[in-house]
Amino acid sequence: MKVCVLYSGGKDSSLALLEASRFFNVVCLVTLLPESEESFLFHYPNVRLVELQAKALGLPLILRKTGDEEVASLESLYNALREAKDLYGVEGVVTGAIRSTYQASRFQRVCWKLRLWCFNPLWLKDEVSLLRKILDYGFEVIFTRVAGYPLKKSLLGRRLDQRIIDFLARYRNYVNPSGEGGEYETLVLDMPLFRKKLKILEYEVTGRDYDATLIVKRAELVEK
Amino acid sequence: MILIVSTCRYRLSEREFVEPIIEIVKENGYKYHVKRSHEKLNLENYSGIIICGTALMDFDYLKHLKNFKELKNYSGKVLGICAGYQLLAKIYDNQLEKIEKIGVYSVKVVQENPLASGEFRAYFLHVLALSRTRNLEILAKQGNEIAMFKVPGKNFYATSFHPEVFNKTVIENFLNIV
Repeated sequence: MKVCVLYSGGKDSSLALLEASRFFNVVCLVTLLPESEESFLFHYPNVRLVELQAKALGLPLILRKTGDEEVASLESLYNALREAKDLYGVEGVVTGAIRSTYQASRFQRVCWKLRLWCFNPLWLKDEVSLLRKILDYGFEVIFTRVAGYPLKKSLLGRRLDQRIIDFLARYRNYVNPSGEGGEYETLVLDMPLFRKKLKILEYEVTGRDYDATLIVKRAELVEK
Repeated sequence: MILIVSTCRYRLSEREFVEPIIEIVKENGYKYHVKRSHEKLNLENYSGIIICGTALMDFDYLKHLKNFKELKNYSGKVLGICAGYQLLAKIYDNQLEKIEKIGVYSVKVVQENPLASGEFRAYFLHVLALSRTRNLEILAKQGNEIAMFKVPGKNFYATSFHPEVFNKTVIENFLNIV
């Protein structure tokens, strides 16, 4: 089956992509670019870097702008997936949803409307185990946004490692360890399917502890 | 030993619909086997059976209905989830209706039962269900839809929603039925 992946460039959609690639032919990525960080459905910081990640994967990318409001987001998603179906013969959609029924039910409705299969390989998985899996697979992941206690500004730009996973596991009563509720965002610099990896050349950090963002201003692909 | 039946056409869907059920069964200290709906089930080896759900686009399990007909002679307990609900409904000669329900909705228990009580929210993901039946006991409703039913005279239960998402106790209570 030909599938596309709803791709944000973060760790969850990248892991979903890797899992799906073991079963199906991933033929393109679909990314929606929200106007601001208020988006209900899609990740915000550095989402434009998916253009580089798509090159690293050797996959075509359907990148579409969307409004922040739910109706506009869903309409953009519908149009982007219809394009994936028409252009690349996509029959199924893969998402990185873990526990958010808000996201999952909306993705499911749009897929059903287009008669596309919907696959959520991370669904209901233990978040800490997923983080460990990401490390075990050799992903290189950095933090690009923190939004809530106990995530300090100093976490931005740091690589996901065992110490951070232990920290997130310890504070799981305060913060969803996967960050699925927007508590933090990540950027994947390297993963097993990348032919080249991302190198950040210039970045800027704004905000304060518990509410800060790392914006990548320049990045390039380098040999692995 | 619990038999977990996958109704998924594709293995990738099992990550979503079967593995969460396996986790709950394991957490509760039960041993299990997983079989797929096209396989011979050999029910006599198991104290209980859970028939899992599958993707919205997947209707393959309905082609394997005859594999499930031996359930009628099974004396253990059965829990049908979503696609499993549909299979149980069909085995007992009910006509599935086109009822599309995707998302979180409130469920109201209308008949006392060992799996659930009161009113609770649950996650639905189906395009087929029942709103009427002549031979099943209605245990819970979501609007006009039969959200839970029991086969009279058997320990066979079914949910049109996915209890693994918000209502793990439904599965745990099922596992604890003696």
